Amino acid sequence: MILNTSKLKGPAAAIAMTLMALSPIGSASPLGNDPIRLVIPFGPGGGSDITARVLSATAPEFCGPRIDVVSMSGAAGLEAVNFVRNAPANGHTLLVSDYGPVVTSGFVDSVSWNHDDWQPVMNFTEWLPTVYTRPDHPIQSIEDWVAAARANPGTVTFGHAAPLGLVHLPLILFEAETGLENIHVPTSGGGETRSLIMGGHLDLGMTLPASIAAEVASGQLTAIGVFSDERSSVLPDTPTFREAGYEVSLPAWLMVFATRDVPKETIEHLQDCFMEALASPTAIAMSNRINAGITPLNSADSTVLYQATVESIGTILRSIGEIN
Amino acid sequence: MLDAFINALYLAFSPEVILYVAIGVLMGITLGAIPGLSGDMAIAILLPIVFFLEPAAALGLLTGIYKGGMFGGSISAISFGVPGTPGSAATAIDGYQAKLKGYPNKALNTALYSSVIGDTSSDFVLIFLALPLAILALTFGPVEFFALYAFSLLLISALTKGRVAKGVAMAALGILLAMIGRDPIGGSIRLTFGIPELAGGLALIPVLVGIFAVSELIIQLAKAWMERTQRIMDAARMQAQSLLGDYDASQDKLTFREFRATMKATWIGTTMGTLIGALPGAGSSLAAFISYGLAQRFSRNRDAFGKGSLEGVAAAEAGNSATSGSTLIPLFAFGIPGSATAALFGAAFILMGMTPGPRLIYDHTEVIYALFLILIYANVINLALSYFLLPLYSKIAMIQSRILLPIVCVLAILGTFAAGNSVIDVWVLLFAGLLGVVLRIYHFPLAPLILGFIVAPGAERALRQSLLIGRGEWSHLLSSPIAIGLYATAAIMILTFTVIMRERK
Repeated sequence: MILNTSKLKGPAAAIAMTLMALSPIGSASPLGNDPIRLVIPFGPGGGSDITARVLSATAPEFCGPRIDVVSMSGAAGLEAVNFVRNAPANGHTLLVSDYGPVVTSGFVDSVSWNHDDWQPVMNFTEWLPTVYTRPDHPIQSIEDWVAAARANPGTVTFGHAAPLGLVHLPLILFEAETGLENIHVPTSGGGETRSLIMGGHLDLGMTLPASIAAEVASGQLTAIGVFSDERSSVLPDTPTFREAGYEVSLPAWLMVFATRDVPKETIEHLQDCFMEALASPTAIAMSNRINAGITPLNSADSTVLYQATVESIGTILRSIGEIN
Repeated sequence: MLDAFINALYLAFSPEVILYVAIGVLMGITLGAIPGLSGDMAIAILLPIVFFLEPAAALGLLTGIYKGGMFGGSISAISFGVPGTPGSAATAIDGYQAKLKGYPNKALNTALYSSVIGDTSSDFVLIFLALPLAILALTFGPVEFFALYAFSLLLISALTKGRVAKGVAMAALGILLAMIGRDPIGGSIRLTFGIPELAGGLALIPVLVGIFAVSELIIQLAKAWMERTQRIMDAARMQAQSLLGDYDASQDKLTFREFRATMKATWIGTTMGTLIGALPGAGSSLAAFISYGLAQRFSRNRDAFGKGSLEGVAAAEAGNSATSGSTLIPLFAFGIPGSATAALFGAAFILMGMTPGPRLIYDHTEVIYALFLILIYANVINLALSYFLLPLYSKIAMIQSRILLPIVCVLAILGTFAAGNSVIDVWVLLFAGLLGVVLRIYHFPLAPLILGFIVAPGAERALRQSLLIGRGEWSHLLSSPIAIGLYATAAIMILTFTVIMRERK
């Protein structure tokens, strides 16, 4: 569908897009004609937004109705979560989120739901938290970092986005494992972390591979290590912490969630048509173009992954005294 | 290189792309003029269009929206005293006063010319000076940022003589309001009084629109009610009023002399806007306020500021618009999105398969050259379109407020809801409106409140990051020459300003 319209030029494409949006093709879908909303608990323009848009651009053909991406970053993402939680349980309102607003918030914030109220429909991808620095910094490897932190405890400054987020928890876990101490400096996000590191204001930082892959390839940044079981496909030369001898692995994911009370058949239909859409040549081409590394998991596998994450995040938060 | 440039010329000046830029500019002006809605929102909604259009056409549309939105915000700032976008909050200070004196057209024209001058200069800086400026921007760490924020707060709080204490109090109130929600460093929730929806803090748009627009509406309502009671007692005063009141459009033309008199302010705004725009995270409202404050300090007609000074409009609007080119500098030089707009442009590049960063211009030379050309000529289109539309806008501005304000307020509430899809934002809007009424009645200046609210998150983060890095030593705040320079400049400016003011008495 996208390939067809991309041949159209200019205003015709815009009109075609509007028409497409208004006239869904597969009317045999159990979802009827009402649009599906993919609600993201973050602002527009980020990785989750961009990834969700691949689905919204390709899945209507397979799912039936039109699919909109709605961004609600209010209340640190909890507004989006609560909005989906309170929407009618008909599969038309879904949450696309990493573990922060669902798993971590479910532990540390006062919310009216618990982790069992969420049902994974599908997982887009796994994100591997990566430690990096600038190339002229004395720390250039995991070993350098450990040596520097042992020689002068509490002197290495480490930038990460929001506290307890997916690029901070791995650091906490690593420190618990090794007994090392660093200065944790929260930033407003990946962009700020990166400019503070490049400007020499911070020593190390954590981010996700896709956002630094180009700079690492061109020698502007050094990726030191990845907190995952296996190396990242976009940073093939960067070792994992496991390879360096530290059993610390805390990959993040990006899942589509429905609430627990959505009927089983609806979840299955959504899972099937989402997986089918993401396997289409258009979706694969788009995924490659945006470097999203989409490797979808079905509902059952995603559920296993989700429950494992709830388990491990709970353990970390208990170990640092954040929850009882 | 020359080949690439010629191809880029063909790309940028194809009729289709020009049409998209023009559509974008029109959309941007319209959305920017509606309080609560901004060009950024339209760009976010229209992002998927990059899947459907050629890169040059898509970038043309987004650029047009961005530039139109930058200027559009000043239309409602001047016409209704309600900044259409956060960046035009400083424009509202003098622009609305100018309108109240009966010359909205002069103010709007000043805003347009200074906006286009600021924007175009900034685009040239992006094209020719991106790398040196980006490297300079990287020297700004937490210590330097905190100094910059402190500088801006001092500058704006001490803006009006005799009201410095009120100004400082308002800045403090703004900072306090901005602290509601999640502590950016510790992550705990503070000052929410147990209301879970406030955990994310008060959003900027509802606070801005509430303080400026809703409070104005409430005051006008009260006034109308008083007048009505008056009228029942005094029936003779009843007379039919024309829709436009006694506005005389022929008396409201910007003369060349008036335009020339604003040039100094425009260049101050252009310089500050370009520099501040290049700093990741600083933003267009900060640039506009600093430009306004500096232009007042360096103006010969200092006393006219706050009372409808065209220089005030020019400085604020040039400062706001001059961020538009330079905000893309960190994105082009290092792949760092320095602002919400830059993040959206970054996303557009990614969706088109282009990775933002230093390789961008080498890997996609033609498209990027075309974008540079579009950035420049979009200003010309903006100038041309706005030139024809402004007389219309000034007439709208002079429609009597009893008709206009309710419409503006409905648009503001809808716009606020659309911005965050959030009902709590509408409540914040109404409460901010009530707060605005109280502050207006007791003559508290609103600008320091808004600036305090806008810079507080960044200033708090910068302060606490500095202290974390300096391991709790406050002397770390003076560890950088840039920071010391900023503090010294602020001190000297405030001292000379006070002395000059005292001598004039």
